[in-house]
Amino acid sequence: MSTNIVVKDLDLFYGDFQALHSVSLDIEENQVTALIGPSGCGKSTFIRTLNRMNDLIDSVKITGEVLYHGEDIYDSESDVIELRKRVGMVFQKPNPFPMSVYENVAYGPKIHGKSNRTELDILVEKSLRGAALWDEVKDRLDKPATGLSGGQQQRLCIARTLAVEPEVVLMDEPTSALDPMSTSKIEDLIDQLKLNYTIVIVTHNMQQAGRISDKTCFFLNGYIEEIGSTDQIFFNPQSSKTEDYISGKFG
Amino acid sequence: MEISRSTRKIHRREKTAKAVIWGLSALTIFILFWIIGFILIRGFYSNKEVRYDFTGYTEETIPLDDQHGVIFVAHSKLRIKDITTEDLQTLYTSPIRELNTWGDFTGQDIYCKPAVYLEPSEFNSAVQKLLLGNSALDDWKSYTVKKNSSEEILEYVGNTPGGLGYIPAEDAYLIDKKVQIIPVRDMVLQVNPSVTDIVNNRSLQAVTMDQLNSILRGDVANWNQIDGPELPLVLGLSSSINLSEQLDGISHSVTAMDSRASMLSFLEHTPGALLMSRFGDIDTHDFELLSVDRIERGRNLTLAFILEKPAGGDAGGISYFIINTLILIILTLLFSTPVGVMAAIYLVEYAKQGPFVRILRMGTETLAGIPSIVFGLFGRIFFVKILGLGIGFLSSTLTVTLMILPTLVRTSEEALKAVPKNLREGSLAMGATRFQTIMRVVIPAASPGILTGIILAVGRVVGETAILLYTLGSGYDLVRNLSSPARVLSLHLYLLFSEAVSFDRAFATATVLIFMVLITNLLTKKLIRKQSVYS
Repeated sequence: MSTNIVVKDLDLFYGDFQALHSVSLDIEENQVTALIGPSGCGKSTFIRTLNRMNDLIDSVKITGEVLYHGEDIYDSESDVIELRKRVGMVFQKPNPFPMSVYENVAYGPKIHGKSNRTELDILVEKSLRGAALWDEVKDRLDKPATGLSGGQQQRLCIARTLAVEPEVVLMDEPTSALDPMSTSKIEDLIDQLKLNYTIVIVTHNMQQAGRISDKTCFFLNGYIEEIGSTDQIFFNPQSSKTEDYISGKFG
Repeated sequence: MEISRSTRKIHRREKTAKAVIWGLSALTIFILFWIIGFILIRGFYSNKEVRYDFTGYTEETIPLDDQHGVIFVAHSKLRIKDITTEDLQTLYTSPIRELNTWGDFTGQDIYCKPAVYLEPSEFNSAVQKLLLGNSALDDWKSYTVKKNSSEEILEYVGNTPGGLGYIPAEDAYLIDKKVQIIPVRDMVLQVNPSVTDIVNNRSLQAVTMDQLNSILRGDVANWNQIDGPELPLVLGLSSSINLSEQLDGISHSVTAMDSRASMLSFLEHTPGALLMSRFGDIDTHDFELLSVDRIERGRNLTLAFILEKPAGGDAGGISYFIINTLILIILTLLFSTPVGVMAAIYLVEYAKQGPFVRILRMGTETLAGIPSIVFGLFGRIFFVKILGLGIGFLSSTLTVTLMILPTLVRTSEEALKAVPKNLREGSLAMGATRFQTIMRVVIPAASPGILTGIILAVGRVVGETAILLYTLGSGYDLVRNLSSPARVLSLHLYLLFSEAVSFDRAFATATVLIFMVLITNLLTKKLIRKQSVYS
């Protein structure tokens, strides 16, 4: 098993406020890495550093290294567009674009220069199948994506991300806005996806982390309190704080 | 449980508040319906009092001295209800051929082409006396078309738009569908000067048709019954007048007169005398005519008014003005929408939110609130004079563009700001550039809001008058090129109103304007609904 992303001594500041303190973490290929921790602990901030989404916020300053296949993504030479192509992201709230189901999935390939209609058709179908959505939407590809249910919209967003053919998929609490049925569908999907993709998922839901992840990383107040295999974190935590959090004493 | 005092108090307050809210909203709705209803009713239906020198009694056949009668006929397409003898005289004797149109009578931009019945006869000379009576002419004007028989005249009038002619009454059976008989108003009122004397700072100017009807029926014994002086009313009638068709009963105390001398002496020597006679019976210089107010009702806004091309303010339709308005809207939107939306994109998406942007925003807000006449002033000096574009379509389009630009920037800005951040992130996270994200995701998502801004802008363009007054001129023509002066609906309305050309036309134009705005709103609403399905 090889490492895909290596984070070394990452500090992140919003203006004067330090949100992450010397975070170091290895993300392994074809594994699900879960980031857990109480609200405001920095896990969402951290996941957004992995494809440089924090660039959008003016006041953010970052020190340390994030190595993707050995290259520092915060190097001034680094190509952020190529990075985001390979490290895709699914957000907390489903955010389908104001266009049809088909156009939503074809959006990524199109902006990256694919215009051949048959190729796009194949890619759209493949991505929708990959997100376990094809059977539900194949008859309504030209209908507005906003007409889908919340769970379908979220899977559409996953399909949209897959269509760009990334290696890593970052998921920032992808099921927190969904009902239990949709949530379980997405969890099943994540199980499937890890065969082909490296997945990093932020979740508030401890059971979810337990069910789907291989490796768990517990964030507290901007520090990584503990990293380990999911089994070890849940059944044999080293830190007492981890244990308190896992057992629901705070959080 | 018993209702407590405090609950009762709350209930009372609730009720008062509800009553106030209901009252105010009812008032608003009432005002809305009142205004729109008033304009629409006046626009579709005209009901006005018009003052004439002639009475409203019409006759199809005017009796002549030779015991014949004359019937006036016109082309069937003319929208004419009736005409006075004096107007017939004008049509037959107008000194300038070009001014001789039906416009004043029918609102149609059609030349009047009068024909005369030339066969020398008593009939011909009697009509000639009737029509040329007051002019210095002793023969027909050269532009009249000479015909030799009733058949020829009817054929000419029926085949000539604007054709006008006359035939002896006994030939009436020849009249076919291609011509119409024009009812003629030939009766005038004259009074002894004592009637129109100024008494108590007031003098009788006119009587209404209703009052005249009562007078003729014998119901009015004294002028003071109809706002006149304290004076007995003595009625005289020319013996050539037979009102049996117009009135069911006529006063028995009426004096019938058949000679001009007797009429004159009646008028001169009888205080409170009122004489109804034919226009040709007496010399109008002798005694004052008493005007008659007639209520004229009828359809106002007609399809013809919308479709016909304009001919001066008081004739023709407004089709060109409608087209000009549409062109003005399209051109201004073409200029302003890209600029406005781009500026909004810069302000929302690219510009660093700092003092510079704050100043820009304040500037656009101020400009959006400035009265349009200020823009008009600027456009007149800058575009028309300094840039030398002249008064015309380009100058006005540019000025109107400047006027709506700030509003457009503001509304587009709000629309862009309302696009959720996560849509932008979703696109960027897939490796889209900022520009791609804006063009493909943000603008489509903001388009309902942007469209709303555009409708507001269209509304302002349609209603704009002040700027156009300064920069567009007032030509009646269709816009042919960018420098041609023109007229749009709102400007036309303003000019009709301010120059008191015709209130009927002003209201009809206002109605068309209201419907234009309504249609724009409906269309855009539909478009927005279609757009917002996606967002």
